[in-house]
Amino acid sequence: MDATYITERIEQLKTNIYNQLHHNTLLKYIEDAKLDEQQLFFLLLPYLNGENWDEDLNTSAVTIAIVHASLDEHDKIDEYEATNKEQQLTVLSGDFYSGRYYQLLAETGNILLIREISKGIAIRCEQQMRVYEKNKLTIREWIHYILTIETELIHKFYSFYEFEKYNNIMTNSLVLLRLQHELLNYQNGQVSTFIQMIQSSVNISESVEKVIAQEVDMLKDELSEYLHSSNLLKDDIKLYIKNQLALVQK
Amino acid sequence: MEKMKLKMLYSDLKQDIDIIEKELEEALNSSSHLIYEASLHLLQAGGKRIRPVFVLISAKFGNYNIDKVKNVAVPLELIHSASLVHDDVIDNSDMRRGQHTVKAQWNNRVAMYTGDYIFARALEYVTKIENKKVHQILAHTMVEIVNGEIIQIEDKFRLNQNLKDYFRRIKRKTALLIESSCELGAIVGECDPKVVNNLKRYGYYVGMSYQIIDDILDFISTDKELGKPAGSDLLQGNITLPILLLQDHSEIKQFIERASQGTVTEQERLDMLEIVRKSDAIKKSMQISNQYLVKALKEVEALPNHPMKKKLRDVALFIGKRKF
Repeated sequence: MDATYITERIEQLKTNIYNQLHHNTLLKYIEDAKLDEQQLFFLLLPYLNGENWDEDLNTSAVTIAIVHASLDEHDKIDEYEATNKEQQLTVLSGDFYSGRYYQLLAETGNILLIREISKGIAIRCEQQMRVYEKNKLTIREWIHYILTIETELIHKFYSFYEFEKYNNIMTNSLVLLRLQHELLNYQNGQVSTFIQMIQSSVNISESVEKVIAQEVDMLKDELSEYLHSSNLLKDDIKLYIKNQLALVQK
Repeated sequence: MEKMKLKMLYSDLKQDIDIIEKELEEALNSSSHLIYEASLHLLQAGGKRIRPVFVLISAKFGNYNIDKVKNVAVPLELIHSASLVHDDVIDNSDMRRGQHTVKAQWNNRVAMYTGDYIFARALEYVTKIENKKVHQILAHTMVEIVNGEIIQIEDKFRLNQNLKDYFRRIKRKTALLIESSCELGAIVGECDPKVVNNLKRYGYYVGMSYQIIDDILDFISTDKELGKPAGSDLLQGNITLPILLLQDHSEIKQFIERASQGTVTEQERLDMLEIVRKSDAIKKSMQISNQYLVKALKEVEALPNHPMKKKLRDVALFIGKRKF
């Protein structure tokens, strides 16, 4: 197995997902669902690492990705101006994807997974709402906010199929990728909601850039150490993750 | 007054409806104060709770057990509620049930997360039922409701649509969820399959009539009764039955043209209402609504003898005459 094989499996998963979400009217007016390849990789990680995998697991992985796509669609809605057709259909595409995930699991009769995913969605929504709550949160709490948004649903998937041993690598990797993305955007002059929240939490003497860079370095160190010492992952997988995260080989 | 009449109609179900109300609030409980407040915002503003009522009544035809029945009644109302929270973003509505919508009280993004949260809680709640068929029906309903809304947006301001387009749209928009309320109530009540089908069809016909009446009320009610300007549907480009019956009327055509450009004045809105109210489109729409009600009542007749048959008739007739 090499990076090409991994990429092909991710592409295959993407195709499966797009087949489930195909909707002529939506495709006529709005972009296709946004799928995060890093999240897809971690959904496939147990399979790529040689765990038992069957059609049921494959369907479940597809549904988790669909739920991510659904919630990401709703993140595209403008806070105050959503009256154009594109925004209206974006609201509905999120709802459509949400219905499709439920329909897929209802067809396979996986009621317990529906429950777990629903709990995960509720937890994620609660976190997303923190931005609009008046309580001032600490930097650590904002990191937890990112962590929940990026990883909660994959956590539910792992724990449902007893793949918890992958939690650590998945969580740290996805949080690192998100923070790297936020840092890069910030350095390019883009201020996301997350950055605004971090700005409201840092001391006057600290800079946002420095705070996020510290978190990034810390996570990089942890991940390098983990990939160096862990026997859990196959070497090809380790290499793929290192390349994706741009980690310095120890 | 109208709500009082409806409550009187449900009076012997009051104890169980109170259980549903309590469960609705508990289902939305959250560690986030804001999400709890926003979720309850619409729920506590009232609402007719017709979906849970149809679940309860349908289940009475079988082995009625409120502890089981609530497992569909609660999620159905939550799903309805969540879709309204998102609809208000799509329609840019500031008022619903006489109070500010979630999107107006907070913002669109809060409304999106609130709707998603309510949907999630609804699905979590319904997983107390292990019957795969229940989930298949509900999932199909949810997807079709959204499909109906997508078509509604695509059809906005499009006057060259026919009655079939309209009926297909309102089936998805409203009738399906009422149909599913009756069907799922009957299934969790373990009713005979024939009874399930009669109740399902009753729900469909009543749901169609319900939406037609809703579309009529948008033209004949006052702004105060509606809690929004009369004629809002047409202003937003939704071509409903009364307008389809007037689609050759030149002034209506012009009005739709201007509405699509967002240039309608208040006087033009009032003039449009006057045209619709004076035409026979309202009367014809009522007749079509009544045809659905007649079909609904035939389904009631086909049901086995049961005290709830009268209730189904009364609810259908109330819907046909409702003024809100």
